[in-house]
Amino acid sequence: MKTAERAQAIAQAAAPLGSLLGSTTADALLHWVEAELGDAAALDRWVTHGEARCKAVAPDNILHVVSGNTPHAALQTLISGLILGSSNLVKLPRGGIPEVDDFISRLAADLAAKITVGEELRDDWIARATAVVVYGSDETVAALRAKVPSGKIFIGHGHKASAGIVWEDENYVSCAGAARDTSLFDQQGCLSPRVFYVRETRPGFARNYAEKLAQEMEQYGRLYPRRPLDVAERAEIANLRAAYTFRATGDLRVAIWAGGPELDWTVVYEEDPWFPSSALSRVIFVKPLPEDLAAVLGPHSAHLGAIGLWPCTEELADRFFALGASRFCPIGRMQDPPWTWHNGGVARLAPLVKWVDFEG
Amino acid sequence: MQDHVEQTSRWEKTLATWIATPAAEHFADILPQLHAFHFRHNAAYRAFAKSSGVAEVVADWRSIPCVPQDAFKHADLRSFPEEETIKTFRTSGTTGEGFGQHHFRTLDVYEAAVREGWKLGGLTRGTLLVLAPHPDEAPHSSLSHMMAILAAREDFIARGGRIDVARLQSATQAVCLLGTALGFLRLFEEMQTLGIRLQLPPGSNALETGGYKGSGRDIARTDLYAMFTDYLGIEPGNIFNEYGMTELSSQFYARGPRGLHHGPPWARAVVADPVTLREVAEGETGILLIYDAANVGSVVGIRTRDLAVRRGKAFELLGRDPAALPRGCSRAADEWLTR
Repeated sequence: MKTAERAQAIAQAAAPLGSLLGSTTADALLHWVEAELGDAAALDRWVTHGEARCKAVAPDNILHVVSGNTPHAALQTLISGLILGSSNLVKLPRGGIPEVDDFISRLAADLAAKITVGEELRDDWIARATAVVVYGSDETVAALRAKVPSGKIFIGHGHKASAGIVWEDENYVSCAGAARDTSLFDQQGCLSPRVFYVRETRPGFARNYAEKLAQEMEQYGRLYPRRPLDVAERAEIANLRAAYTFRATGDLRVAIWAGGPELDWTVVYEEDPWFPSSALSRVIFVKPLPEDLAAVLGPHSAHLGAIGLWPCTEELADRFFALGASRFCPIGRMQDPPWTWHNGGVARLAPLVKWVDFEG
Repeated sequence: MQDHVEQTSRWEKTLATWIATPAAEHFADILPQLHAFHFRHNAAYRAFAKSSGVAEVVADWRSIPCVPQDAFKHADLRSFPEEETIKTFRTSGTTGEGFGQHHFRTLDVYEAAVREGWKLGGLTRGTLLVLAPHPDEAPHSSLSHMMAILAAREDFIARGGRIDVARLQSATQAVCLLGTALGFLRLFEEMQTLGIRLQLPPGSNALETGGYKGSGRDIARTDLYAMFTDYLGIEPGNIFNEYGMTELSSQFYARGPRGLHHGPPWARAVVADPVTLREVAEGETGILLIYDAANVGSVVGIRTRDLAVRRGKAFELLGRDPAALPRGCSRAADEWLTR
């Protein structure tokens, strides 16, 4: 199968997952290959490379280890293996991921045959793999890195958390998008914002922004209810609400808006700028943008995924460039990275291939 | 003011007497009165109670609002004049505003609760050896203070962060070791390094408490207890767990790796739904609310951050994040708790 044929087959199977994966047309996939490998046919034939010609060689077997319970990472990494033409060993978390089964069931037979899925990581999978891609906690990534022999390609995606920065938004235009970014996938992904830092373009603006965001969270939640929570998650959110509600009764620097009978969403306004990098379902902080955000982020910079900006301009991206995020995008599109996205600052196809040069 | 001080003293005496000769039936009488007393003299608590729709007079102790544990970090929850404070225990926090404070006007009630609770918990009274810092080294630690009530100064065997393993080796009679789970782990690591395995005298037992917060360590209770047997010769059934916290004055004890936690007659644990705060059904999981009458100088109801299973009048402790829930590419979500 040539790359273009694989792109076609993947696009067909991915079409019903559009809300999850964004636009996954064959053209988008081929554009991605071209962006990363220089030519959309680089895996199929000799392509020009400076004064020589070369051909990309995909790994025979890619082991994908997906420990989280969000479907994106699993689907995206699997699709990267498929578009390259590799065989794929996919280690899913306990309980599996239904969206992955769904996707595989709709793939053409010859592509589906290139996938083996399991919930246990077998040692022989590591031995068979030419390349290993891991999504999970920093501990999981480190543990796998230690197990994988040094000759194999290893790409680890550890803990990441994202944030939004509202530089100027007189009329709260970005609030609906901020609610979507927060609510979509219930904040379980690396691109989910944990906090919006809002510049105080007038006194009290950040607090007002929090209140507007709460209204938008309510709207979004009515249309797209949150997944059910287990008792531990309910306890965490309920405890956070109780703690901030207590504080808000005697401290004007704190306010809380809490929606829904089942802890549906929570917006916390807090002047203390500390960066909340952890995930609770649909719990979002709004804080005034501090003078020195880099100092506030401190060690969290290493774990910063995306920054949603409003307005999203290159000038603002340059202003916050040094924070450590690997992606700037408009608020409202944080969950929709294009296929060409450098996840964690790393290209997703290029590091997996090897090149053979031809100098005729 | 004079009236307030007199009332405070009266309550302290009442509690100290009750704890010395505990009768469970007093609980339902005393708790609502303590709530009313705190309501009158503790502004932060009064504001919280009012915002929870609870008045000064409550008919039933279960109607008393439970203050979130976290509130001890941000509010002054003293029910007596600040200048009468003689002791403040602090939670282990990371930054200035990151630790909770529990203030005391007297330690009489606290110390009575520790001593009597220990007796009721069924722990031995042999020589106690403590693996935690002495209060001289950790003056704000309620745990160190509690252990100093129970054990002699010379029996703190982890001075300056070094564990005196020789004291264990020289024991000829049954001992009871007291320490944090992390402290015991460190002891076992040191014994491993030194190549030491002990068989402590028959009847020896141990009490472990606390978690592994901030250490990056985590180990199942059954695994930890197996190490007690391996390194010290103490059978799992002779190991106790203490559930307590800086914000409380009383402790709950469980025996063995799967033991249930029981409290003294002056404290009650309620396993409640996190949202409705109604007690869950038998065998169900919820958050742990603790009502502690010995908290005479602060507040009696504490909403803890721990999960537990309701087991009769006792509870099975699950802790903060028992499910080790998968969370995408995010780490466990408890950092806001350290604020």
